[in-house]
Amino acid sequence: MNAISVSGVTKSFRGDMSLKKREVLRGVTFEARSGEALGFLGSNGAGKTTSIKIILGLIRADGGTVELFGRPAGCRDAASRTGYLPEMPYFYPHLTLAEFLEFCGRLSGVPARDLARRIDRVLETVDLAPHRGLRLKGFSKGMLQRAGLAQAILHDPDLLVLDEPFSGLDPVGRRLVRDVLVDLKARGKTIFFSSHILPDMEALCDRVAIIRDGVIAKTLGLDELVRLGEGRIEITARGVRPGTLAGLDECVSSAAPRGEETFVVVREQRFVRSVIERLYERGADVISVAGVRRSLEDIFMQEIARPAWPARAETPGGERSSEPAAFVGF
Amino acid sequence: MRRVAAVAINTFRESVRERILVVAAAFGAVLMGGSVFLSPLAVGARQKIVMDVGLAAISIVGVLAAVFLGGTLVHKEVDRKAIYLVLTRPVSRSAYLAGKLAGVVLAVSLIVAVMAVVLAAALVLGNVAPRPAVFAAVYLSLLEAAVIASIVVFFSTFTTPMLASFFALCCFAAGSLSNDLRVFAEKFGGAGTRIAADAFYYLLPNLRVFNLRHEAVHDLPFRAVDVALATGYAAVYVAAVLCVACLVFRRREFA
Ligand SMILES: Nc1ncnc2c1ncn2[C@@H]1O[C@H](COP(=O)(O)OP(=O)(O)OP(=O)(O)O)[C@@H](O)[C@H]1O
Ligand SMILES: [Mg+2]
Repeated sequence: MNAISVSGVTKSFRGDMSLKKREVLRGVTFEARSGEALGFLGSNGAGKTTSIKIILGLIRADGGTVELFGRPAGCRDAASRTGYLPEMPYFYPHLTLAEFLEFCGRLSGVPARDLARRIDRVLETVDLAPHRGLRLKGFSKGMLQRAGLAQAILHDPDLLVLDEPFSGLDPVGRRLVRDVLVDLKARGKTIFFSSHILPDMEALCDRVAIIRDGVIAKTLGLDELVRLGEGRIEITARGVRPGTLAGLDECVSSAAPRGEETFVVVREQRFVRSVIERLYERGADVISVAGVRRSLEDIFMQEIARPAWPARAETPGGERSSEPAAFVGF
Repeated sequence: MRRVAAVAINTFRESVRERILVVAAAFGAVLMGGSVFLSPLAVGARQKIVMDVGLAAISIVGVLAAVFLGGTLVHKEVDRKAIYLVLTRPVSRSAYLAGKLAGVVLAVSLIVAVMAVVLAAALVLGNVAPRPAVFAAVYLSLLEAAVIASIVVFFSTFTTPMLASFFALCCFAAGSLSNDLRVFAEKFGGAGTRIAADAFYYLLPNLRVFNLRHEAVHDLPFRAVDVALATGYAAVYVAAVLCVACLVFRRREFA
């Protein structure tokens, strides 16, 4: 069964000043299968947060249907099986962390006798145990983000809906959140999260749904994600002259001189040997060889950040050169 | 029910920690204390003034606290999106509103209780044993504040705290006068005015029934059954307002 199934959801917002409505979601359709980690990718303003709020029943869709575990969005038992981390979480500043979690646990219907133990455990998990007695108004942004994760997993939900769970975290915090999510996934939980931090998404997701201008532009499956990882090879060489690589067109996709050096992009692993041999034969020097990945980031730049208007046909595979794998990430 | 209680306790805790309570209670205490020292009158008359000012202060501070807390607490939560963490849990919106109202009423009760203790102490210090009517008057003031709190919570489900507080204070003023308004309209108004006045009379809370201050100050007899009736009236009125508030709140979106 699908943990989330969203079909044909539309939503318009009325501007503050005008009565004219702006359509923000224009038929969003996707599903998160039970037990999978589904990433939700899209540029600012694409409609991620709006979709998530509809899934949770905080706002109503104008059209279309949303079901969680086969039940309509916002209903009680869907809510008790779901954990949610809002985009910019605001918590009650007057509560201490432990009091806050107690409050959340009660609302989620965690049995009173389990509550203290559960709180201890999630505080360990998100590494905030030393701060349990501190009022939330004294928390830093990253600590709040982790407190937010703690309240989302407190009642051991089957589905986690996380709106940018990695924002505001330092590398240690990001690793921590990632580990928590990996662990939850290993325990069979469904995870649906939006993020702009692509390496995290690549590491965690089974599939990625890409939203653009209020519609799902593309859904990448696990095999497509894997295929992204196999890439071309980039060779940096010195002393390459015009004609050095003549006749290797099927192996080499581009050769771009930059100063004394030339970046040669080889289409596939199996052509590397012949290209390198040719370079040595013709007196060129190979400086480096690096595997190039077409990462989600490239996809992001190409498929998403691209302005909506040019109706150009997409070139599968992509001809742009991209960064060597070693440099991918922030 | 457990969830209503959780929301109520959280609301109560928030208002206690916000220190408004302290301010309100201090205001009331100063008012009462002042009346003790500033009235250079014979002992009996002075105690009457202390009681008069004290009970009036309790009523006014109670209503103002209800308006202030009720107006800000719901709105703040919606505005800052803390409500996301509540409404995405298995908590109905009605339970949420009921909890909020209960929390506000709890906080107001604390203020009123503190001020009542101060008043009783002032009376005892002046060698007057506080009469049951005084406590009955305080209790009715609390009911009045609860009714006003429900009205504020109703308005704050769809307007800003400023407007909600303003409307609620208007209801308070009109509710205190609704008897007079109706009598006035019946005497001088045409048919239309009379219908409007009747509508208002039944719609607005009749706050007269919560005023026992005159009897308390002048040691006049009061009937326990009136107090019981006032309690029933407050309960029904609050429940009705809460139901309407829930109808509005259920349709609301939190974007
Ligand atoms: N309450 C609202 N009233 C009017 N317009 C809104 C409202 N909420 C969102 N929008 C509009 O809907 C569009 C989508 O917003 P949304 O918050 O879903 O984007 P997002 O994909 O989450 O972006 P980000 O990556 O910046 O978080 C935006 O253009 C935004 O201006
Ligand atoms: Mg967003």
